[in-house]
Amino acid sequence: MTLTRPAPGRTTGAAVASPLEAAATVSRRPAILCAATLVATGSAGAALLVAANRAAEWDTGRQFALFWAGMLVFTLPAVYWLVRRGTGTRLRVAVLTAYAGFTYLPKLLRTPDGPLYHDEFAHWRQAREILLDGRLFEQNPIVKVVGDFPGLHSAVAAISGLTGVSIWHGALLVLMVAHLLVVLGVAVLAEEIWQDARIAAVATIVYSLNSSFLFFDTQFGYESLAIPLLVWTLVALHRAMRGPAGRARLGWSAVTVMLSAATIATHHLTALGLLGVMLILCAVATARALRRINPRAVTWTAWALTAAATVLVVSYLWVVAPRTAGYLDPYLARALDQFAGMAGEGGGGGRTLFRESIAPWWERAAAFGAQGVAGLGMLAAALWLRRRREGDAVSRNGALTMFVLGSCYFPAALLILTPSGAEGARRSWAFSYLGIALVVAPVVIWLLDRAPFYSGTALLAVCAVVMVGNTAAGMNPSYRFPGPPVFGSDTRSAIPEVSAASAWLRSTQGRDLRIVADRYSGLIFGSFGGQRPVTGSVSFPTYDLYLAQPGRQPSPRLIEQLSSWRFTYLIVDRRMAREVPEIQIYFETNEPVPHSDKPAFTLGQLTKFDRTPWTIKIYDSGNIAIYRFDFASLRKAAR
Amino acid sequence: MTTPRILAATYAALAVLGFAGGPPWVLTPLCLAALVALGELWLRALAGEAMPTVTRIGLATAAGLVSLPFLAITLHATGILIRPRALAVGLAVLATLLGVIVLLRERADGAPVDPRLPRTVAAVAIPGFLTLVAGFLALQAYDRLPHPPQPGYTSLALNGWAGDIDRPVAIPARGVHVPVRVSSAGRPAATEPLRVRVGSRLVSGRALAVVPGTTRSVDVFVPAPPGNCLHRIEISLGATSTVFYGHGPGQRRC
Repeated sequence: MTLTRPAPGRTTGAAVASPLEAAATVSRRPAILCAATLVATGSAGAALLVAANRAAEWDTGRQFALFWAGMLVFTLPAVYWLVRRGTGTRLRVAVLTAYAGFTYLPKLLRTPDGPLYHDEFAHWRQAREILLDGRLFEQNPIVKVVGDFPGLHSAVAAISGLTGVSIWHGALLVLMVAHLLVVLGVAVLAEEIWQDARIAAVATIVYSLNSSFLFFDTQFGYESLAIPLLVWTLVALHRAMRGPAGRARLGWSAVTVMLSAATIATHHLTALGLLGVMLILCAVATARALRRINPRAVTWTAWALTAAATVLVVSYLWVVAPRTAGYLDPYLARALDQFAGMAGEGGGGGRTLFRESIAPWWERAAAFGAQGVAGLGMLAAALWLRRRREGDAVSRNGALTMFVLGSCYFPAALLILTPSGAEGARRSWAFSYLGIALVVAPVVIWLLDRAPFYSGTALLAVCAVVMVGNTAAGMNPSYRFPGPPVFGSDTRSAIPEVSAASAWLRSTQGRDLRIVADRYSGLIFGSFGGQRPVTGSVSFPTYDLYLAQPGRQPSPRLIEQLSSWRFTYLIVDRRMAREVPEIQIYFETNEPVPHSDKPAFTLGQLTKFDRTPWTIKIYDSGNIAIYRFDFASLRKAAR
Repeated sequence: MTTPRILAATYAALAVLGFAGGPPWVLTPLCLAALVALGELWLRALAGEAMPTVTRIGLATAAGLVSLPFLAITLHATGILIRPRALAVGLAVLATLLGVIVLLRERADGAPVDPRLPRTVAAVAIPGFLTLVAGFLALQAYDRLPHPPQPGYTSLALNGWAGDIDRPVAIPARGVHVPVRVSSAGRPAATEPLRVRVGSRLVSGRALAVVPGTTRSVDVFVPAPPGNCLHRIEISLGATSTVFYGHGPGQRRC
């Protein structure tokens, strides 16, 4: 059976514009052996991952060793089958698919039932709002710009609505498909550049070692869908640049523009990252065109599509999502300030890596080692690119572009030393590691071809170290493993008591209520509770309510804001007076709250609302109290 | 597969998804297949040339998936609420538009052939299915293992009419019965003191059995506070409490 009918007057070979793939493995024996190996190691790996989660739940401390044993017992044999010279095209595709499926398992086991990471609550709420109200672009109280980028949550809501699965299961389906698309996309992009399936497989493996691959870019967050779209946009762009002039180039250009549009409708940073990569490609193509080593059509195609993508991105950010600049700008500005502070005399403003982390010493050591490996890999890639000038103009442009992109990894890594830059640095690695992966891969294959046994063993060991190190650097243990409740952790603060309070408020008072809350209560009340929490900002400092000493009235301006904007409820989590938040945030990143090893609040500051006539305490469960505002009683005194 | 067949399969799948319904485990793969078919139409309409099979599978999946946000944005822009039937009809319209373009293009140029595609689809589908099974089994195993108990709580809330108190309550001379809701989970059964204070004065107290895993409503009698002054009224159960404010019926000034 064919998927398309034969073109009249054409032979099969002539119709296939792309080079034919290598013939499939003649013998079925390797495929059967590979399948048996991977089924066995996959089952063992899955069992070890379950054991790791269980060890973490019971706080035995063995979760790290079990987790990595589980990951490596599958991934190392998979890597072997991927880079093996005799592996056929289809077998390689099958192993890549299995690799994508297995590497989604840690996140699946971490969050099987519902949202857990910070941004997941925001997207979950947004998807539910679409199902309830049928509208897009509703403002999100947890991440204020999420609503402006409906790509992911509208897809999830649509699948949930069409199939009847829950929002979470719909999200898991989309995310698993997106994860597979990243894996296959990197392989296809690498093959576009290097025309070699083994190099493509290695590039995919190297990319999968980046710090966001296992947990961050598998979450119910917009980048998880946007990054595969970025990769496939680059695939289409390369084909447009390479394609024969005329309708084929026009067709691939249309695919590029379509996927660029989807990227910007999904995630702001990825769209900007895509523009960045396209601009690097244009710069490389232009430099080569000036030296007359690039066909003019290649350069013009790159510029035209970059211009089209720029128009799309700028128009979207200008017309549909004008709040995005205001949302992103403070992070960058604060990061630069903190970086300047670190460089200055005081040396302040920085952060200590792995501070109070429970990650074992070998994970931390691997995290530093992984940066060294990346540096060495890029050095080797630079030498390789200088000596070997292989491939057509498009391949060479692509390789040089990826080298420049990969080089951006190192300056971004410095930002990890600042509290505000750390988030951005982590997010940028998913882009810059694409560059590293695509230029280091041919060096790896060259090494393997020289001394297969020794270099193969050494490279597997290096692969293991980099996977361990990058994952440790990118995600803290409370995001990776379950465990006892921890106050001030996005993933472990949500004890049943908070969920019960949120459910009570929703069932008795309704949804879409404007409430004042801390970061962690806000996540639950804003998502499952369906409310509109605010956690404070410079212009609307709701945290001043909590900070006010007993007997002191909050500022009239704040009361005026709360009253005129119809805020009706106040949520107080008394754990703020007993514990220090794990991530050192009570309300938001820029809060004027003292941070030390002692809680920033006294119990008196949090229970003062029990004695103020303008706050009626309607619910209390020990840790969580809910008050209703009665601003008309503000100046009244009670006996 | 020829374009008319892809179109027919897409229409049939969308008809089931939008109008017939069925169990989620049937509809989910059907939805995925419809989206991939739609993505294939996108590819035939735009690129219209043969390509490596993995590229085709990946691009078709990506294009099919992004059809959903494109359609949702279009529905939003045209003022149509995003509902399953609207989505199914919208996807069918999109499939028709793409189908027309593809058919026109194929009439002029013909369609490329790729006999490797079915086997490559199988190379993606089989390990994909196996990893899904592995994931499902791992989740089942994890679910069935014993988990540490979650911290428990006892909650006290104003209930019924009292849950709507938003200003000081005028309490008649005969007093008032205030309904409160007591809920407990994850804690052993206990007896807690249920107390009422008006201002600093303890006006009543009794023991209340708190049964784990239950929620019940209890009426608490609050006597009228003396005079017309604003009084703080606290109903407490063990360490939890609710607080509202009220004044008595008298005319005496405070």
